[in-house]
Amino acid sequence: MTELNARQADALTELINIAFGLTAAKLSEISNHRVLLETPTLAIHPMDALARDLGLFVTGEVASVHQVFAGPFSGDAVLLLNYESAVKLSNLFVEEHLQSQRLDSSTGEILAEVGNLLLSACLGVFGNLLQARVTFSMPRLHLDSLEEFLTSIAIGSGESQNAVAITASFHIREQSVDGRIVVVLDAPSLEQLIQAVERWEGAQSSA
Amino acid sequence: MPSRILIVDDSSLSRRVVRGILESEGHEVTEAADGMAALERFSLEKPDLVVLDMVMGGMDGFDVLQKLRQIDGQAKIIVATADIQRSTREMTEEGGSRGFVTKPIKKEELLSLVNSVLEERPA
Amino acid sequence: MSSSILIVDDSSMSRKIIRGILESAGHEVTEAADGMAAIERYSLEKPDLVVLDMVMGGMYGLEVLEKLYEIDEHARIIVATADIQNSTREMAEQAGSRGFLTKPIKKEELLSLVNSLLEGAK
Repeated sequence: MTELNARQADALTELINIAFGLTAAKLSEISNHRVLLETPTLAIHPMDALARDLGLFVTGEVASVHQVFAGPFSGDAVLLLNYESAVKLSNLFVEEHLQSQRLDSSTGEILAEVGNLLLSACLGVFGNLLQARVTFSMPRLHLDSLEEFLTSIAIGSGESQNAVAITASFHIREQSVDGRIVVVLDAPSLEQLIQAVERWEGAQSSA
Repeated sequence: MPSRILIVDDSSLSRRVVRGILESEGHEVTEAADGMAALERFSLEKPDLVVLDMVMGGMDGFDVLQKLRQIDGQAKIIVATADIQRSTREMTEEGGSRGFVTKPIKKEELLSLVNSVLEERPA
Repeated sequence: MSSSILIVDDSSMSRKIIRGILESAGHEVTEAADGMAAIERYSLEKPDLVVLDMVMGGMYGLEVLEKLYEIDEHARIIVATADIQNSTREMAEQAGSRGFLTKPIKKEELLSLVNSLLEGAK
């Protein structure tokens, strides 16, 4: 299990911070609401610990938008929301008389679109700053239980028990929307990512 | 003209990068990793300028901005942040910051902003 | 000056948003939800301009771009994508796109780019 030293952890957190800055700005632009950014929590969980961590965050059904990505590092980038936040997030983009209390095909469509923008921004910042090219798939929207969600995560090597998840939170305070972005990678990809992050950190520090 | 500059950021990488940029211009740099430390150092050292991150645990950037200006109404503060929302930029301007740069920080952008703010007369 | 514009995007929501922007400026809009449909429509309708997404199922946007230029070397194609990477922009430009916009699309940016491309034309 790869451990990060303090410098690596710091650099990766900073990278995520920047990715989140762009992500939040996009969300803010399309929803016309201010997005409260938290210092991203860099947590690297093996998959069983991910279950525990997410279990604290979501109860009941989980709405997730997945964007599988490939490149020097590959995995699955996920926008994760509980049912309530998913509905609230979708409703930010529609006029009041069109708002829904449930996740249906039209709110689902909005969520997939929002997920696409956010996840592409996040992955794109990684690609740009780490001088890597990341390709990503069409976003897929799922609504399931937490267990089903965890099994739906796509890891290239298929060794999901060795996968790690990098998680970070975002909030739209006024509307009580709480979401997580979870990037799941297998161990070789994490290794690639860390090396790329170290190169970036080195370049930044000596600029 | 070399000056004393306080960097406030919870990321040690960010502090290191900004320090490197400012020291290359001959400025003298001190650091604070959170809001409380920032207020302490500011009161004790009276730096010529502060470079302030907005997204921090504990006290948030807006609080720090406000409190620094309470300590010294003429304080010269510029914001350096990953939060690129337009509303954030506007709010920091309303809160009295003299400039705004987004991360990842470009050396030339930061230096030219620092220089122009240092040259400003007291507001 | 109004013209006919083909939107190619697998997201119906994106197509709806872009359609709204273009129709508000008086343009006539048709849509395709994937690469194959895009090539068909282009061949049949010969639109004045194409707004093309990059990430789609089936054919990736770059392939569609190339195939459209094979059909018509004077095609006017703008890329509109959520993919913000510089490498993607470079690839699109090398493949001949005449503009590259990142989502969320700003109305003024799209319209002024469309206008400048259409003016360069007829």
